[in-house]
Amino acid sequence: MTRPAIPPFTAAVTGLGLVTAAGVGVDETWRNVTRGEVRPASVGAREELRDLPCDFMYAVPAEDLDTARVLGVATQRLMDRFAQLAVLAAREAVADAGLDPRVWDSGRVAVVIGSAHGGLPFYDEQHTALTTKGPRRVSPKLAPLTVVNSAASSVCMDLGARGPSQAVSTACSSGTVAIGAAHQMLRTGACDIVVAGGAESVCSRLLIASACQMRAVSTRRYDPAAACRPFDADRDGFVVGEGSGLLVMERPEHARARGARIRAHIAGYGASSDSYSAVAPDPEGKGIESALRTALTDAGVAPSDIGHVNAHGTSTVFNDLIEATMLHRLLGADPLVTSTKAMTGHTLGAAGGIETALTVLALEHQLVPPTANLDALDPRIPVEVVAKAARPAAFDCAVKTSLGFGGHNAALVLTRG
Amino acid sequence: MASATDAVSTLMVQKFGVDPAAVRPESPLYALRMDSLALEELRILIEEQLRIDLEDAALTSRNTVGELVALVHEKLVHTGSLG
Repeated sequence: MTRPAIPPFTAAVTGLGLVTAAGVGVDETWRNVTRGEVRPASVGAREELRDLPCDFMYAVPAEDLDTARVLGVATQRLMDRFAQLAVLAAREAVADAGLDPRVWDSGRVAVVIGSAHGGLPFYDEQHTALTTKGPRRVSPKLAPLTVVNSAASSVCMDLGARGPSQAVSTACSSGTVAIGAAHQMLRTGACDIVVAGGAESVCSRLLIASACQMRAVSTRRYDPAAACRPFDADRDGFVVGEGSGLLVMERPEHARARGARIRAHIAGYGASSDSYSAVAPDPEGKGIESALRTALTDAGVAPSDIGHVNAHGTSTVFNDLIEATMLHRLLGADPLVTSTKAMTGHTLGAAGGIETALTVLALEHQLVPPTANLDALDPRIPVEVVAKAARPAAFDCAVKTSLGFGGHNAALVLTRG
Repeated sequence: MASATDAVSTLMVQKFGVDPAAVRPESPLYALRMDSLALEELRILIEEQLRIDLEDAALTSRNTVGELVALVHEKLVHTGSLG
């Protein structure tokens, strides 16, 4: 049986919002990401992680962001930190899109936000309260603050968005899958506007202790700023980061009708499942290749059209090798590949949102950010990885790839606005 | 009454973002946006801070600040926390 022919659909990206260790706000984040030098304030040891083999992570510097001041105590108390970061990114994205929540048709505004762990830090804290002080000291807010969908519901409440909303949870590809789901919602006409992307903040001793046991994270404790080094011969694991990256996406006719500035398009989406392992990616990258092929077909572009790839590039030995080998196999050696994770850390479920926003900016500026900390390319990596300095280039199509624990793969094709 | 009044108003301002000027004895708690979830949270904070047990205290957001303070004060006296 042949597959149904689906007419192509291009979603307009009209707004961006970013809160990351590389900067609070889109401009600050882009400035630092394109500079490609890890800011010492953005990554370092944390008291919560004391004595663990990996005792450091990327975080939004406290001097850059006072959430209690920006959100107010009454609003902040109903959110764990990942939801707070999502609300701040959403406010920026909606303002950037030139939308006014006081007058928009709120029932046509959707929210889709990916997160892998949701309010895990609050879970952790309340479990400690349970074991040390007893059940009568456990907060009544555990469920509302820790559910993975609380970033989406917090954004709905903060903005007054009354269309469909949901969380997407596919581990480290959650943000990319959220944008793909948003693309599909716009395509079906379920809404006119979607705020989509990811949010994560997991400074949790429990989670990082487990990641250390898994030997998935870098143990370069003597030099945290150099620990995340995607595609480098000397890489030894990922480094967790916190942040949120959200896009305002619209049906193209809706964006045109209101005269919105279209920053880029989400032209195609593909997703797949490895059906292979709980943690390791398919050794040949068959799953992510399938997702990327689907996305290219969906966008109606050829592999040779792709000029830039913002890769998953986690800085683990296997991810980077498998992903780069797949990219070379499918797209050839020409696209300029980068991983921006050395600037933001691996923000897990937020990564796809943050990195898709950065891909929009790369298309706009015709500039590929460098992979920070890439000093000596692993000789087995067969693609052109931009290192040291941002590289100007002419390209109309770019790709964002993401892989998640559990074998959840996703790819987006973006085109210039 | 003073320690109960202080504890209740300080917690509502610092932990729940209530406007200090709005914390008056006759204010109903719902008017300060202290809904049922917030009240259950406040109950724990007061218990922890003043070392009293409010488990059996009937409390809804229709109660006023004054009624809450009186209830806390009564428990303090009953528990012998006040000299």
